[in-house]
Amino acid sequence: MKSYEDMNAMELDVFREIGSIGIGNAATALSQVLGVQVSMKLPRVSLAGYNEAIASIGDPEEIIAAVLVEMSGDINGIMLYMLKLDFINAILARLVGKYIEDFSQIDELSASALEETGNIIISSYINAITKLANIEVGLSVPSVAVNMLGGILSVPIAMFGYSTDKLLMIQGEFLIGDTQLKGELMLLPDVESLNFLMKKLGVADI
Amino acid sequence: MGKQLVVGIGDMKLGRQEGTIITYALGSCIGIALYDPMIKLGALVHIMLPEKGNIADSNIFKYADTGLRETFRKLYAYGADKRRLTAKIAGGAKMFDMKGGSSLGNIGDRNAQSVKRVLAQEGIRVLKEDTGANYARTMSIDLQTGMVLIKTFGRPELRL
Repeated sequence: MKSYEDMNAMELDVFREIGSIGIGNAATALSQVLGVQVSMKLPRVSLAGYNEAIASIGDPEEIIAAVLVEMSGDINGIMLYMLKLDFINAILARLVGKYIEDFSQIDELSASALEETGNIIISSYINAITKLANIEVGLSVPSVAVNMLGGILSVPIAMFGYSTDKLLMIQGEFLIGDTQLKGELMLLPDVESLNFLMKKLGVADI
Repeated sequence: MGKQLVVGIGDMKLGRQEGTIITYALGSCIGIALYDPMIKLGALVHIMLPEKGNIADSNIFKYADTGLRETFRKLYAYGADKRRLTAKIAGGAKMFDMKGGSSLGNIGDRNAQSVKRVLAQEGIRVLKEDTGANYARTMSIDLQTGMVLIKTFGRPELRL
């Protein structure tokens, strides 16, 4: 079995393609929910040590909102949807007619609006992949946290910690309307799932 | 303010006399500050898992058991005395409350138990503790005094 570290450029390209299909579908779903144009950027696939992975997203102490969904079945791992303040406001304005100045103002109603959009985005992302690879993936009920970036990323880091010192992140970005509001959606599969996925898509060289 | 050493995830730093050692945003991970007040020698370890399962893994500070044992060894080599060493621990949060059965489990809780077990085995007293709950903590130790500072989001600073 291949570990994250052994993946070659072609395999990383396949994951970029998977991410691209997933995020495209998710952007369409988000656009329908919000009633506004949502576009996406070409996803990035990166393999980094824990500390580098956190630094590539922001400061470890930076506060973000995150929606986490666990995947099980043919792919095991985590989907993480991370939102910064401007992106949260773009969603809240359209769904619950609210504006917040900082993260401490996220109340129950706002949190459930974020959870619901997270749920829709993640399900449509995973649906696209399961159709493509003809596999089955179960999703957990989403859970929301508003806290330090480093603490939030400690969840996937600890989950995969026994098998790897690195995180494979398939990161996608949404842009809402004409303004550049960034929301990140990360697919974090475990090593076994990665190998299974490669085999299913016919790119495994073993 | 003297110099400040930064400890990453699965890492350890030690220092003497002056300055601070800090580690950022402990989630389910645990920070363990060990201090010998007599010689003002302190160490800060940032572990992320309870026990080393994979023998081939060379990253010993990732785990509570191997990480703490290596830290004790280093502290003794620098002149620390087991009878004077005390520990303050923070972290071990459950960042996401997963409904229903989750394979994620409560890793923070298991980390805390493992850290306390290894400290007890070595006969080192846990002086103060700020673990559990559902938020991340930034932890620092002042090498002059052994004072530990905990910073969180939306809560007042805590001195341990």
